Amino acid sequence: MADLLGTFEQAVLLAILHLETEAYGRAVLHQAQEMLKRNVSAGSVYTTLDRLEARGLVSSRLAEGTPVRGGRARRYYSVAGKGIEALSDARSALTAIWAGVQLPSEVQL
Amino acid sequence: MSTGRQSPPRWAEALLERLLAARERDTVVGDLREEYAESVVVQRGRLLADLWYLRQIWSFVPRRLVQKRIEGKMRQAISFFTFACACWLATMEMVLRHPGYGLRIGVALCIALISLATIIGRLAHVEGRSEVWRWAGAILLIGIGGQAFLRNVRAAHFEGFVVVISVALVVQGVLMLMSRRMTA
Repeated sequence: MADLLGTFEQAVLLAILHLETEAYGRAVLHQAQEMLKRNVSAGSVYTTLDRLEARGLVSSRLAEGTPVRGGRARRYYSVAGKGIEALSDARSALTAIWAGVQLPSEVQL
Repeated sequence: MSTGRQSPPRWAEALLERLLAARERDTVVGDLREEYAESVVVQRGRLLADLWYLRQIWSFVPRRLVQKRIEGKMRQAISFFTFACACWLATMEMVLRHPGYGLRIGVALCIALISLATIIGRLAHVEGRSEVWRWAGAILLIGIGGQAFLRNVRAAHFEGFVVVISVALVVQGVLMLMSRRMTA
Protein backbone atom coordinates (compact mmCIF):
# COMPACT_ATOMS: atom_id res chain seq x y z
CA MET A 1 0.00 0.00 0.00
CA ALA A 2 1.38 3.40 -0.94
CA ASP A 3 1.41 6.35 1.47
CA LEU A 4 -2.14 7.07 2.56
CA LEU A 5 -3.70 10.22 1.22
CA GLY A 6 -4.36 13.18 3.48
CA THR A 7 -7.88 14.55 3.85
CA PHE A 8 -7.21 17.47 1.54
CA GLU A 9 -5.67 15.23 -1.11
CA GLN A 10 -8.71 12.98 -0.95
CA ALA A 11 -11.02 15.99 -1.30
CA VAL A 12 -9.12 17.18 -4.39
CA LEU A 13 -9.19 13.74 -6.00
CA LEU A 14 -12.89 13.29 -5.24
CA ALA A 15 -13.60 16.76 -6.59
CA ILE A 16 -11.92 15.78 -9.87
CA LEU A 17 -13.97 12.59 -10.03
CA HIS A 18 -17.14 14.55 -9.30
CA LEU A 19 -16.44 17.13 -12.01
CA GLU A 20 -15.68 14.43 -14.59
CA THR A 21 -14.55 16.18 -17.81
CA GLU A 22 -14.84 19.71 -16.36
CA ALA A 23 -12.11 19.37 -13.73
CA TYR A 24 -9.83 22.38 -14.20
CA GLY A 25 -8.10 24.29 -11.40
CA ARG A 26 -10.79 26.73 -10.27
CA ALA A 27 -13.60 24.21 -10.69
CA VAL A 28 -11.67 21.75 -8.51
CA LEU A 29 -11.15 24.50 -5.93
CA HIS A 30 -14.88 25.31 -5.74
CA GLN A 31 -15.85 21.65 -5.60
CA ALA A 32 -13.30 20.97 -2.84
CA GLN A 33 -14.65 23.97 -0.89
CA GLU A 34 -18.16 22.61 -1.18
CA MET A 35 -17.09 19.15 -0.04
CA LEU A 36 -15.00 20.37 2.89
CA LYS A 37 -17.48 23.15 3.77
CA ARG A 38 -14.71 25.68 4.28
CA ASN A 39 -12.66 28.12 2.25
CA VAL A 40 -9.55 26.73 0.66
CA SER A 41 -6.79 28.80 -0.87
CA ALA A 42 -5.91 28.71 -4.54
CA GLY A 43 -2.27 28.12 -3.63
CA SER A 44 -3.04 24.96 -1.66
CA VAL A 45 -5.26 23.51 -4.40
CA TYR A 46 -2.79 24.08 -7.23
CA THR A 47 0.08 22.82 -5.06
CA THR A 48 -1.88 19.67 -4.27
CA LEU A 49 -2.79 19.13 -7.92
CA ASP A 50 0.86 19.54 -8.84
CA ARG A 51 1.96 17.06 -6.16
CA LEU A 52 -0.70 14.51 -7.08
CA GLU A 53 0.35 14.71 -10.70
CA ALA A 54 4.01 14.26 -9.77
CA ARG A 55 3.01 11.12 -7.83
CA GLY A 56 1.13 9.81 -10.86
CA LEU A 57 -2.28 9.96 -9.13
CA VAL A 58 -3.74 12.44 -11.61
CA SER A 59 -3.01 13.25 -15.22
CA SER A 60 -3.70 16.48 -17.07
CA ARG A 61 -4.21 17.84 -20.54
CA LEU A 62 -4.15 21.38 -21.87
CA ALA A 63 -7.09 22.96 -23.67
CA GLU A 64 -7.09 26.13 -25.71
CA GLY A 65 -7.58 29.45 -24.00
CA THR A 66 -10.59 31.73 -24.43
CA PRO A 67 -10.67 35.53 -24.81
CA VAL A 68 -11.84 36.04 -21.21
CA ARG A 69 -8.72 34.17 -20.08
CA GLY A 70 -6.54 36.37 -22.26
CA GLY A 71 -5.94 33.39 -24.51
CA ARG A 72 -4.28 31.42 -21.72
CA ALA A 73 -4.67 27.65 -21.75
CA ARG A 74 -6.81 25.67 -19.35
CA ARG A 75 -5.45 22.54 -17.68
CA TYR A 76 -7.98 19.76 -17.18
CA TYR A 77 -7.27 17.03 -14.66
CA SER A 78 -8.40 13.42 -14.45
CA VAL A 79 -7.78 10.80 -11.80
CA ALA A 80 -5.36 8.10 -12.96
CA GLY A 81 -5.68 4.42 -12.08
CA LYS A 82 -3.11 4.88 -9.33
CA GLY A 83 -5.26 7.67 -7.90
CA ILE A 84 -8.34 5.47 -7.79
CA GLU A 85 -6.27 2.82 -6.01
CA ALA A 86 -5.03 5.38 -3.49
CA LEU A 87 -8.58 6.60 -2.82
CA SER A 88 -9.75 3.04 -2.33
CA ASP A 89 -6.89 2.38 0.11
CA ALA A 90 -7.73 5.54 2.04
CA ARG A 91 -11.39 4.56 2.31
CA SER A 92 -10.52 0.99 3.39
CA ALA A 93 -8.14 2.31 6.05
CA LEU A 94 -10.77 4.68 7.38
CA THR A 95 -13.45 1.99 7.43
CA ALA A 96 -11.07 -0.39 9.21
CA ILE A 97 -10.08 2.03 11.97
CA TRP A 98 -13.70 3.06 12.58
CA ALA A 99 -15.04 -0.49 12.62
CA GLY A 100 -16.95 -1.18 15.85
CA VAL A 101 -16.21 2.26 17.29
CA GLN A 102 -18.98 4.40 18.67
CA LEU A 103 -18.33 7.85 20.01
CA PRO A 104 -19.56 8.48 23.57
CA SER A 105 -22.08 11.07 22.35
CA GLU A 106 -23.54 8.55 19.89
CA VAL A 107 -23.86 5.92 22.59
CA GLN A 108 -25.88 8.33 24.72
CA LEU A 109 -28.17 9.15 21.79
CA MET B 1 -22.01 46.92 -12.64
CA SER B 2 -18.58 48.22 -13.44
CA THR B 3 -17.98 49.26 -17.02
CA GLY B 4 -14.21 49.75 -16.63
CA ARG B 5 -11.42 47.23 -16.46
CA GLN B 6 -12.70 43.66 -16.33
CA SER B 7 -9.39 41.94 -15.77
CA PRO B 8 -6.95 42.00 -12.83
CA PRO B 9 -4.33 44.78 -12.71
CA ARG B 10 -1.41 44.00 -14.98
CA TRP B 11 1.13 44.48 -12.20
CA ALA B 12 -0.74 41.94 -10.07
CA GLU B 13 -0.76 39.40 -12.87
CA ALA B 14 2.95 40.01 -13.44
CA LEU B 15 3.57 39.47 -9.72
CA LEU B 16 1.62 36.21 -9.74
CA GLU B 17 3.53 35.03 -12.80
CA ARG B 18 6.77 35.52 -10.91
CA LEU B 19 5.51 33.24 -8.13
CA LEU B 20 4.55 30.41 -10.44
CA ALA B 21 6.60 27.72 -12.14
CA ALA B 22 6.74 28.01 -15.95
CA ARG B 23 4.56 24.92 -16.40
CA GLU B 24 1.55 26.35 -14.55
CA ARG B 25 2.01 30.03 -15.31
CA ASP B 26 -0.47 30.23 -18.15
CA THR B 27 -3.12 27.98 -16.68
CA VAL B 28 -3.22 29.45 -13.17
CA VAL B 29 -3.15 33.08 -14.32
CA GLY B 30 -5.81 32.22 -16.90
CA ASP B 31 -8.02 30.52 -14.31
CA LEU B 32 -7.82 33.50 -11.98
CA ARG B 33 -8.40 36.01 -14.78
CA GLU B 34 -11.48 34.08 -15.85
CA GLU B 35 -12.91 33.97 -12.35
CA TYR B 36 -12.09 37.63 -11.78
CA ALA B 37 -13.89 38.73 -14.94
CA GLU B 38 -16.85 36.38 -14.91
CA SER B 39 -17.64 36.26 -11.24
CA VAL B 40 -15.68 38.31 -8.72
CA VAL B 41 -15.69 41.75 -10.35
CA VAL B 42 -19.36 41.39 -11.27
CA GLN B 43 -20.41 40.47 -7.74
CA ARG B 44 -18.07 42.63 -5.66
CA GLY B 45 -16.93 45.55 -7.79
CA ARG B 46 -13.43 46.35 -8.93
CA LEU B 47 -11.84 47.36 -5.64
CA LEU B 48 -12.91 44.24 -3.75
CA ALA B 49 -12.11 42.13 -6.79
CA ASP B 50 -8.57 43.51 -6.77
CA LEU B 51 -8.27 42.68 -3.07
CA TRP B 52 -9.56 39.18 -3.80
CA TYR B 53 -6.88 38.85 -6.46
CA LEU B 54 -4.17 39.93 -4.03
CA ARG B 55 -5.40 37.30 -1.59
CA GLN B 56 -5.07 34.67 -4.30
CA ILE B 57 -1.52 35.82 -5.00
CA TRP B 58 -0.70 35.65 -1.30
CA SER B 59 -1.80 32.00 -1.16
CA PHE B 60 1.03 31.12 -3.56
CA VAL B 61 3.73 32.88 -1.52
CA PRO B 62 4.48 30.12 1.06
CA ARG B 63 5.10 27.54 -1.65
CA ARG B 64 7.38 29.90 -3.54
CA LEU B 65 9.37 30.60 -0.42
CA VAL B 66 9.89 26.87 0.08
CA GLN B 67 10.79 26.31 -3.57
CA LYS B 68 13.35 29.06 -3.43
CA ARG B 69 14.47 28.03 0.06
CA ILE B 70 14.17 31.71 1.01
CA GLU B 71 12.21 30.97 4.15
CA GLY B 72 14.93 28.70 5.55
CA LYS B 73 17.68 31.19 4.79
CA MET B 74 15.69 34.05 6.32
CA ARG B 75 14.98 32.03 9.45
CA GLN B 76 18.64 31.11 9.74
CA ALA B 77 19.85 34.69 9.31
CA ILE B 78 17.34 36.09 11.82
CA SER B 79 18.21 33.33 14.29
CA PHE B 80 21.89 34.27 14.10
CA PHE B 81 20.95 37.91 14.66
CA THR B 82 18.65 37.26 17.63
CA PHE B 83 21.17 34.82 19.13
CA ALA B 84 23.89 37.47 18.98
CA CYS B 85 21.54 40.15 20.39
CA ALA B 86 20.40 37.89 23.23
CA CYS B 87 24.00 37.05 24.19
CA TRP B 88 24.89 40.73 24.09
CA LEU B 89 21.83 41.70 26.21
CA ALA B 90 22.55 38.98 28.77
CA THR B 91 26.19 40.08 29.04
CA MET B 92 25.22 43.75 29.45
CA GLU B 93 22.65 42.89 32.13
CA MET B 94 25.24 40.85 34.01
CA VAL B 95 27.71 43.73 33.88
CA LEU B 96 25.33 46.61 34.68
CA ARG B 97 23.05 44.76 37.15
CA HIS B 98 20.12 47.18 37.00
CA PRO B 99 17.08 46.28 39.17
CA GLY B 100 15.29 43.24 37.76
CA TYR B 101 18.33 42.11 35.81
CA GLY B 102 17.81 38.45 36.75
CA LEU B 103 14.53 38.17 34.86
CA ARG B 104 15.95 39.97 31.83
CA ILE B 105 18.97 37.65 31.76
CA GLY B 106 16.57 34.70 31.90
CA VAL B 107 14.55 36.03 28.96
CA ALA B 108 17.73 36.74 26.95
CA LEU B 109 19.07 33.23 27.60
CA CYS B 110 15.72 31.75 26.64
CA ILE B 111 15.84 33.62 23.29
CA ALA B 112 19.47 32.56 22.79
CA LEU B 113 18.56 28.91 23.39
CA ILE B 114 15.63 28.97 20.93
CA SER B 115 17.74 30.68 18.29
CA LEU B 116 20.62 28.27 18.84
CA ALA B 117 18.24 25.31 18.58
CA THR B 118 16.84 26.74 15.31
CA ILE B 119 20.34 27.20 13.87
CA ILE B 120 21.57 23.75 14.92
CA GLY B 121 18.28 22.12 13.90
CA ARG B 122 18.51 23.54 10.42
CA LEU B 123 22.20 22.74 10.02
CA ALA B 124 21.63 19.17 11.18
CA HIS B 125 18.38 18.82 9.16
CA VAL B 126 16.40 17.76 12.23
CA GLU B 127 14.14 20.80 12.46
CA GLY B 128 10.41 20.32 12.71
CA ARG B 129 10.65 16.88 14.34
CA SER B 130 9.12 18.09 17.56
CA GLU B 131 5.88 19.95 17.02
CA VAL B 132 5.43 20.88 20.68
CA TRP B 133 8.85 22.52 20.96
CA ARG B 134 8.45 24.32 17.66
CA TRP B 135 5.09 25.78 18.68
CA ALA B 136 6.27 26.64 22.18
CA GLY B 137 9.42 28.33 20.83
CA ALA B 138 7.52 30.28 18.19
CA ILE B 139 4.83 31.50 20.58
CA LEU B 140 7.46 32.50 23.13
CA LEU B 141 9.41 34.49 20.53
CA ILE B 142 6.28 36.24 19.25
CA GLY B 143 5.18 36.96 22.82
CA ILE B 144 8.54 38.37 23.94
CA GLY B 145 9.04 40.33 20.73
CA GLY B 146 5.50 41.70 20.71
CA GLN B 147 5.63 42.74 24.34
CA ALA B 148 9.03 44.39 23.94
CA PHE B 149 7.77 46.27 20.88
CA LEU B 150 4.62 47.54 22.62
CA ARG B 151 6.45 48.52 25.80
CA ASN B 152 9.01 50.42 23.76
CA VAL B 153 6.33 52.24 21.79
CA ARG B 154 4.60 53.30 25.02
CA ALA B 155 7.83 54.21 26.83
CA ALA B 156 9.01 57.80 27.29
CA HIS B 157 12.34 57.01 25.64
CA PHE B 158 11.92 55.31 22.29
CA GLU B 159 14.86 53.02 21.52
CA GLY B 160 15.47 52.02 17.92
CA PHE B 161 17.51 48.90 18.66
CA VAL B 162 14.64 47.47 20.76
CA VAL B 163 12.30 47.89 17.78
CA VAL B 164 14.73 46.09 15.48
CA ILE B 165 15.28 43.20 17.89
CA SER B 166 11.58 42.85 18.80
CA VAL B 167 10.52 42.83 15.13
CA ALA B 168 13.24 40.25 14.41
CA LEU B 169 11.88 38.04 17.22
CA VAL B 170 8.31 38.26 15.91
CA VAL B 171 9.42 37.49 12.34
CA GLN B 172 11.52 34.58 13.58
CA GLY B 173 8.51 33.20 15.47
CA VAL B 174 6.20 33.58 12.46
CA LEU B 175 8.73 31.85 10.19
CA MET B 176 8.98 29.00 12.69
CA LEU B 177 5.21 28.56 12.51
CA MET B 178 5.16 28.86 8.73
CA SER B 179 7.88 26.25 8.26
CA ARG B 180 5.44 23.42 9.09
CA ARG B 181 2.63 24.84 6.99
CA MET B 182 4.88 25.21 3.99
CA THR B 183 6.37 21.75 4.11
CA ALA B 184 3.16 19.90 5.02
